[in-house]
Amino acid sequence: MIKMAAHCDFSSLELLMKASSKEKVVKVCNDVYVMGSSQSDGLLSSVCESLGTRPNETKKMIESLSSVLKTIIFHGYTEPQEIQSLFPKDFHKNLRDLITKIALDNMNTWKTHSISTQVSLPRLVDFDWRLDTKMASDSISRTSVPTCILQMKVQENQTDVKTTPENHNINVELSKETLDTMLDGLSKIRDQLSSVARR
Amino acid sequence: MDLSERGLTAGKLVDMKWKLGVAVCSDECKSLNSPFVAMTLKVADASGKISTHTFELTIPQFQNFSEQMKDMAARMEMI
Repeated sequence: MIKMAAHCDFSSLELLMKASSKEKVVKVCNDVYVMGSSQSDGLLSSVCESLGTRPNETKKMIESLSSVLKTIIFHGYTEPQEIQSLFPKDFHKNLRDLITKIALDNMNTWKTHSISTQVSLPRLVDFDWRLDTKMASDSISRTSVPTCILQMKVQENQTDVKTTPENHNINVELSKETLDTMLDGLSKIRDQLSSVARR
Repeated sequence: MDLSERGLTAGKLVDMKWKLGVAVCSDECKSLNSPFVAMTLKVADASGKISTHTFELTIPQFQNFSEQMKDMAARMEMI
């Protein structure tokens, strides 16, 4: 859920001024956007370490920063003014501009991350294949039939928040005919993809 | 990959259904326009029992998969 930036406690963001360098602020923003959505315990300690601040004061800042960054990525702002207008008029200008720049620089990376964690069916994470030749069987003493064994690794959706989701394997054997039929289907998908890309 | 060592047997691919979708937006991005491929495979085991597996692929994954399947078919021709 995104709390709109209007309800964000901007004053808590000033804790970021304690950072000893701009790079530290970049790191904090990145950690907050990428880890914030998974309610990670490691996030709080990582940010406290980057800024040299105590957990109590840092928690509020993380909440506010997360809210601002999520609002920016949600709307996909491309102009600095659009982002700057989220901040109150009396907000520290340099900090505002720094956060704006960091968000614009990381927009694509964070959007990609968001896509990789969005609602989805189980995802194909890897696949292997092997080509075999069947030489003989109990019914045929000599033969030479090529066959393909395909193993696909699919990662299920997370059911328990604290554990990594399980992978399960799908093992299939494909004859030449089955493979050709599959290739037909795959080339139809490729055709559709090019026409989607052209729109 | 050695299936025989792991005591796994491969079923026969019986059917493959697919869908090309475009994620329009999500709770995190108002405007996504992110294409994806979803597939359902039907696999028959040795006893004839059919199981279905549905999953998604990103476009780069789909392209890689598609390339490798083509490659495999080409090699099959040569055997």
